[in-house]
This record gives sequence, C-alpha cells and structure tokens, in this order.
Amino acid sequence: MRAAYTPIEHRVRGLSDKAIAWLFIAPTMILLLAINLFPLIWTIQLSFTNYRANRPNAPLRNVGLDHYQTILSDPEIWQRMQATAHFVFWTILLQTVIGFALAYLIDRKFRGHGFWTTLILIPMMLSPAVVGNFWTFLYQPQIGLFNYVVSFFTGLAPSSFQMLGDVTLSPWAIIIVDTWMWTPYVMLICLAGLRSIPDYIYEAAEVDRASNWRQFISITLPMCLPFIMLAVLFRGIENFKMFDMVNLLTSGGPGSTTELASITLKRAAFEAWRTGYSSALAIILFVAVFGLANIYVKALNKVKAR
Amino acid sequence: MAEITLAQVSKRFGPVQAVTDLSLTIANGEFVVLLGPTGAGKTTSLRLVAGLETPDDGRVFIGGVDVTGLPPAARDVTFVFQQYSLYPHLSVFDNLAFPLRSPTRRTPEDEIRRAVGEVARLLRIEDKLQNRATQLSGGQMQRVAIGRALVRRPAVYLMDEPLSSLDAKLRSELRIELKHIQQDLGATMLYVTHDQTEAMTLATRIGVINRGRLVQIGTPRSIYEDPADIYVATRLGSPGINLLPRALFPTLEAPAAAATIGVRTEHLAIAKGQNGAVTGKVDWIERLGDQNHLHIDVNRQQIVSLVDPDEGLGVGDEVAVSLHKPLFFAADGQRVR
Repeated sequence: MRAAYTPIEHRVRGLSDKAIAWLFIAPTMILLLAINLFPLIWTIQLSFTNYRANRPNAPLRNVGLDHYQTILSDPEIWQRMQATAHFVFWTILLQTVIGFALAYLIDRKFRGHGFWTTLILIPMMLSPAVVGNFWTFLYQPQIGLFNYVVSFFTGLAPSSFQMLGDVTLSPWAIIIVDTWMWTPYVMLICLAGLRSIPDYIYEAAEVDRASNWRQFISITLPMCLPFIMLAVLFRGIENFKMFDMVNLLTSGGPGSTTELASITLKRAAFEAWRTGYSSALAIILFVAVFGLANIYVKALNKVKAR
Repeated sequence: MAEITLAQVSKRFGPVQAVTDLSLTIANGEFVVLLGPTGAGKTTSLRLVAGLETPDDGRVFIGGVDVTGLPPAARDVTFVFQQYSLYPHLSVFDNLAFPLRSPTRRTPEDEIRRAVGEVARLLRIEDKLQNRATQLSGGQMQRVAIGRALVRRPAVYLMDEPLSSLDAKLRSELRIELKHIQQDLGATMLYVTHDQTEAMTLATRIGVINRGRLVQIGTPRSIYEDPADIYVATRLGSPGINLLPRALFPTLEAPAAAATIGVRTEHLAIAKGQNGAVTGKVDWIERLGDQNHLHIDVNRQQIVSLVDPDEGLGVGDEVAVSLHKPLFFAADGQRVR
C-alpha cells in the first residue's frame, strides 16, 4: 500500500502541504491583521502622542504617559467607570435571573412551546438603533406607554416623572431597556444548559426521593452553572462596551448620569478631537475588560472541570 | 423486602407496543433476570415497576400493595441505570448519601456515615469517597451507582443492564459480587440484561422476553435445557444451538410434528470415520485453547460442535455425527415433545 501512495504536494502544482495551508489561511490572517491588530498597535502608539485627528498636519509631540496619568487621576473618569459598573452589574444580575427563570419555565413540554420561545426571542433580533428609538417613545412622559402603565398601577400622574430626564431614574431606564432586549439571549444559553442535563439523572433523583427543590439545587443549578457563567461573560463584555442604544436613549444625560465609559470615549475622540487622549482611554478600557475576562474565564474553566 | 407482582401489564409508546400483557411474580428474596435483545421491552418492564412509566393496562403490586398510580418516590424501590447516573458535582460520599438524605427519611448523620462506609467497603471504593464523581473511571462510577442503590434497604432493587458499560474483567468481578451481595442481603432483585452469561449466573429465575411478551420463565437450568420455543433456545448457549432440518437425520426418532431439530454444541457426539448413520466433513476448526469449535458440513448444513482439543481431528476429516438430547420444534417454532 505504501508504494502506491503519492504525497499530495507532488500532485498540486508543486506546492507543498504547508504552502497550501498558508494560502488558505492567508486571506483571514491578512484581514485580522488589518482590522484588529493594526488598529490596536496604532492606537497604542497614538496614546503616547498629542495627535488630533481634526488637525492631522499639526506638529506631533511625544507626551509619554501623560494621558494615562491624566485619565487615571481624573475623578470624572472614575465617575464614568462607576456608572459603567452600575450598568454592567445590574443588567447582568437581572438578565441572568430572569433569563434563567424563563428558560426553566419554557424547558418543558406544553402547547405552543415553540411559539412562546420565538416570541420571547424577538427583542434580541431587533437592531439596537430601533430599540433605542422606540423606547424613547415608550418613555415619553406624556404619551409613552411605560409611564402610562406605571401610573395605571401606582396612581401617579403619567407626566409626574421622566425616565430619561431624571438623574435617579435614567440609570435604571437604560438598565430596563438592556434587560428587555438581552434577557432572551441569556435564556437561550440557559436553555441549552438545561437541555444538556440527561433525563436519567432526574429519574435517579426521583427514585432516590429527592424533592423538586432538591433536584433543582443539586442537579439543575450545578449542571447549568457553566452555561450561566458563559452567558454572564458574554453579557458582561458586551455591556462594558455598551454605546449605541444608550447613546440613542440619553446620549449620556441627564448631566452625565448615564454617560458610560464608551460614550465618554466617543466624545473625547470625535467631539473634542483629543485623539491621543482618547486612544489612551481606549487602551485602559481594553486592558480592564481583557484582564477581567481572563480572570473570569479561568474561574469558568475551573467550574467546567469539576 | 417484598414480593413484586405485575398483573397483565401493557404499555404502548405511540405506535410501538413495548410491553404486552405481562404477568410476573417475583418472590421475596428472589433474583429474577429479564433476558432479551434490545427493544424487547425489558427496560420498559423495569421502569413500570419503578414507577418511571405508568402502564396503559394492568396493575403493579409491591409487597401486596397496589402501587400502579404512585410516583417512584412513593414506591420503596431503587434503580440502577445503564448510564452512570451520578450527580456529577457531588463527591462519591455525597452521591452515596444522597438517597439517605431525602427529607422523608431523616437519617441521622452518623447513621449515614456508617451505611455509606459499609457500602463503600462492599464495592471497594472506600479510598474514593472524597473524590468528585467525575474523577472516577467508568467501572468506579458504575460501582458508585450500584452503591447508591444498596445504601438503602428498599423493597426491591431494580437494575437496568448495570454492567453492560464495563469492560469484560470488571464485569465478571462485579457479577460475582452482585450475586454475593444479593444473597447476603436476601434482596429481591429484578435485573435486566441482554447478556446470557449474566442471566445464567445471577438469576434464580430467568424470564425471556421477546417483542414485549414474556415467552418463558424458569430456572436458568430449565430455560437452557427445556426451552419452550426456538427463540428461547437461541437466546442461550455460545456458540448458539444448532438448528437443523428434520430431514437431515432421517433415522432419528422424532415426534410427527417436528420440523426442526435443535441440538446444543455439547450434545453432539463426533467420531472419526464413516461408520455412523449421518456423516459429515470437518470444514473449519476454531481453537480457543481449552476447547475447539468444530464446524462440520453435513449435507451442506453447517453444524458447530464443541470438542476436546486433544480429539485429533483435522480439516477435511470425515466424521460420524450423532445426537444426545435433541430438542424438537414444530414449523411455527413451538417446542414439540
């Protein structure tokens, strides 16, 4: 048999296996380098300069770590970070709890099961721009449905509060919208987790006389945990970078109560045109997300390995 | 411990009739093995006793009590699944203690420790008690699963091919252990398998199931020697029983209805030479060390026979074939005597 074997490289135009492999990978590699790695390196480089994108011909000066120092010692930046953390924490908490609960409810056989799943998934399929726009209408104090429903149940006058215009309410307004939009996504991942638990484990527990509650605590939850953690990771990274929807709803206002880190970044880069400064901020945010995600993934792997 | 009775139980899954009119009584302390191929309805029968399925017709009694409509938790049963049904995030100890910690039992903690320790010793997994269930090998996992059934003292132990996922050596070890444990506890067991060796060695009685029906039930010896039909005869014996047309042995005395002669490999007498009533030619010899399987061509019919390795027969030898204890079957497969 061995003698009859002709290596592939002799058959394809004199190219070696390795060359062909590189040929196939090359387009993707070039694309990745061009749109991921190159901008990253350029951003790092710019973060050490006073470069302004609206004045490309101004003399370029190396400012060293000045931008980093300014940013990290700026109490306003820390306030934005706090707003971001608040947003990330509450959206993750609400989405995980509600998403898991929905998954748990939908993971049983009942009539119209597919219909309800599709219905629940709709918000996730909408564009954030659409969501931002129509929640602006829903939150409208005079004609908005949200204010109307709240007033219907609490007796408050509909126009007595403004979800998007109030300093204390606006952070919650964006949390509600994000939760509305992305809970289905968490539900979907949790549903995959629930479906991965084999029936016979529940049957064994039933024969062992475990109550429903005990089955939930000692089978459902632990076996679903890696999936839940994965959902938290995805939502955490996404919400740390949240920009489009919040920008449409509040543009960071009122004042700067809903100004998340990425909105600050956009303003510094494309309103104040402090390109060097905003590059430094972008790098700081990137390192923060990257570091946190890495620590989290380690924990996730530990849970998975159990 | 208790007696189990299935009375005319039937179960259907959509178009599939899984169990048909099954009646079976398992006496207290008896080890009954249900034997049959995949899809014969063995597992369904077991699940009906456990309460994991509800019968369409018929009743199930445990210890004289009608439990037909009761959930598994309300029946005093344990169940060992074919898959390792362990709680993966719990330690071996906690897995074994799981049934005892049920709120309806309220076993004191030192009693739990004692019971778990005892079962762990029995199954030789004492040194693994603190390990996570997922860190065990397949054999250890299945022993933990069996241990979880043994840690309680239920009315009946139900086992669904508990050894089929283990390797051959471990399977034979655990088989012996299981039989010892059952005898020591005086346990009532209903055990499902497609492995004839397990059935023969473990059972007080074997129930042979085919297409949802209990074809025959009896002691391993009676099932082997006195099968009710061709199906039962072919379920036991390795190599399987020789099924030969009646016409092949014209001089043999047989009932008028006999269409097929069944003869087990060890019931064939093979002698060198052509002096018998029926002769054949040795076609092929399988040498297994302690015994040889002789494939003999008799009038273009293959017969397999067990012979001593020292017999001195070779391929191409002419041999005389005579039968001991032949079994006769009618054209419809039923036994005729």
